Amino acid sequence: MIFLFLTILTLALEKLGTAFLFNGNRLSEVNILVDVITVLLVFTLWCVANWCTTSLMDGKGKMKDIVIAMGYALFPIVLIRLPMVLLSHAITMEEGAFYYMFGFIAYAWAGILVFLGTMMTHEYSLGKTIFTCMITVVGMGIILFIGLLFFNVISEIIVFISTIYREIRFR
Amino acid sequence: MGQRKRKSIWIRSGFALLWMAAAGIFLGAFAMPMEARADMPYDTYSYNYWGEEVKEPHSYLYARSITQQEIGSALRFPSDMFIASDGIYIADTGNNRIVITDFEGKAVGEITCGASETDFLSGPQGVFVTGEGHVYVADTGNGRVVEYDKDLSYLREIGRPVTTLVADSLTYSPTRVVVDGAGRIYVIAYGINMGLVEFNAQGEFQGFMGATQVSVSPFTYIWKNYFSTEAQQQRMETIVPTEYSNIFVDQEDFIYATINNLSDEDHLAGADAIRRLNPTGSDVLRRLGDYPVIGDLETTTFGYDWSSFVDVAATDYGCYFILDETDGKIFAYDNDGISLFVFGRNGNREGNLQKPAAIGLGADEKTLYVLDNTLNGILVFELTEYGSHLLNAIRLNNLGDAEGSTREWREVLKYNSNSELAYVGLGKTYLTEGRYKEAMECFELGNNRKYYSKAFSYYRKELMEKYLTKAVIAAAVLLAVIWIVKKVLRGRRWVGEVRCYMENR
Repeated sequence: MIFLFLTILTLALEKLGTAFLFNGNRLSEVNILVDVITVLLVFTLWCVANWCTTSLMDGKGKMKDIVIAMGYALFPIVLIRLPMVLLSHAITMEEGAFYYMFGFIAYAWAGILVFLGTMMTHEYSLGKTIFTCMITVVGMGIILFIGLLFFNVISEIIVFISTIYREIRFR
Repeated sequence: MGQRKRKSIWIRSGFALLWMAAAGIFLGAFAMPMEARADMPYDTYSYNYWGEEVKEPHSYLYARSITQQEIGSALRFPSDMFIASDGIYIADTGNNRIVITDFEGKAVGEITCGASETDFLSGPQGVFVTGEGHVYVADTGNGRVVEYDKDLSYLREIGRPVTTLVADSLTYSPTRVVVDGAGRIYVIAYGINMGLVEFNAQGEFQGFMGATQVSVSPFTYIWKNYFSTEAQQQRMETIVPTEYSNIFVDQEDFIYATINNLSDEDHLAGADAIRRLNPTGSDVLRRLGDYPVIGDLETTTFGYDWSSFVDVAATDYGCYFILDETDGKIFAYDNDGISLFVFGRNGNREGNLQKPAAIGLGADEKTLYVLDNTLNGILVFELTEYGSHLLNAIRLNNLGDAEGSTREWREVLKYNSNSELAYVGLGKTYLTEGRYKEAMECFELGNNRKYYSKAFSYYRKELMEKYLTKAVIAAAVLLAVIWIVKKVLRGRRWVGEVRCYMENR
């Protein structure tokens, strides 16, 4: 949980605090809620989808284990990208290659940790982990799709009911 | 508590002042007649770093128009205009003549025929005047270019180019003509898409120049050549290079050429809408801005509404003004292809355009003339103070007068604190003066990361030189202190241990 919070904090600080040279964001348009929602949404989606697929594919991990593993997997993002905010104030455009490389390493490391975390918690083989990860991504898409469909239908229902109500009232 | 109270008084008095000021403005607006500038029939804006239109003070104000009343006779569908040092030359296409007026619009001369009295011009669409005052007319209907001397008497005519490159079936109809300093004649002609037709000073055909490159997407190419039937191929458009719509020769003998028959695909593929051709015919237009030189950036969500360039006029210092037919706008760019300002509008109010055809600059860019094909007249726009500061700043910067341009940029900022150009201009001066911190601030306001990085690297070096020795000494001292403290603590612990041992014994 703490790592989740720290990740959100890192992403927000990155947008606010990165030096002008490396900051393509417009300060007046930065919204911390966007970071909160993206991180929470992706995290929850991944965990739920992963839990759904692995419980079908005889994974050993429980929901709690998955969340813990994934939480720890976010650690490199905090560890590398947070100091990078400070670093960005001390380097020029020419040295920017390092900056971008470190940024990439942070995400790559986190990705590897997610992968290994899945492998460990469910006691899978390598091939099976890759397969599960792919299924999980597909699962995330399906969940998103169903969620959007749900919202759509609900709003249609609300419109429908309100129309009926209006019809009756104006009779 | 007292502190807070004082603050609130300050705030209150501030509010009172504001109210008074607001009331003053309000009353003032009623007392005085509104200034004419606020009532221009168009907006002036420029594009900022984020590609948004930002309104700014007018650079050119509509002043008057030159129509039938001023000229003395009506124009009919005029298509080209040239601003010479002695007057305005108008290609009055519908009346088969060239009209020459002074700068007030009064007609002072007319050209109606070629070699003989009965050899009338036929729908001339282009006119050009050389430095010596020789007039070249693109006599479209007769398929020739006619040259007249200073007194408007006939000198010679240059007919169809003698070449096998142009099909005999094609009627040669020159529409625009320019002549460079060396006397080379460049002609745009209908249906010739190999570029500009180039004649030497003697009027002999030299070749084609600056052919626009054909861009074909791989998908179209494969589809067209391998997957479509004979019948389909015939119905498909043939892929041909685009033709130029207008040309302008600048003082360096480089030719600005506009292109306006680009399709949506061409635009999306990033095709040029304007080129600057050097004498060998390659495009040397500088495109260093954040956005391409295409006029209005894509604005509509339903379909595209691209600007369509019909003419261009350039200043001696590389700024150029492009006339857009779609919206009746005039786009000004600097020599790096960065948008300076945009003004004008198509419409029915006085000062609006309807079907702009040609643009010309008066002396010192003080006035800007726009010929309108439908209004049958010329609209005259006059440079404002703001505009003159802006153009001056660029001009002085080009001449290498950094001090002068800084002064002008400061003036520009007084009128328009949103001007990214002015901030970047100022920043560059600070950079050369070694005021890196200020330069950085300017570049940040001007959203220019390249120069910011440059200023920052100097600033960092400066800081290092200033503080590095101190920092090293401080670090050394700190380390020494830590070491000593550690030693002392260890020593004490050792003493304590020894004492302990002694007591226990």
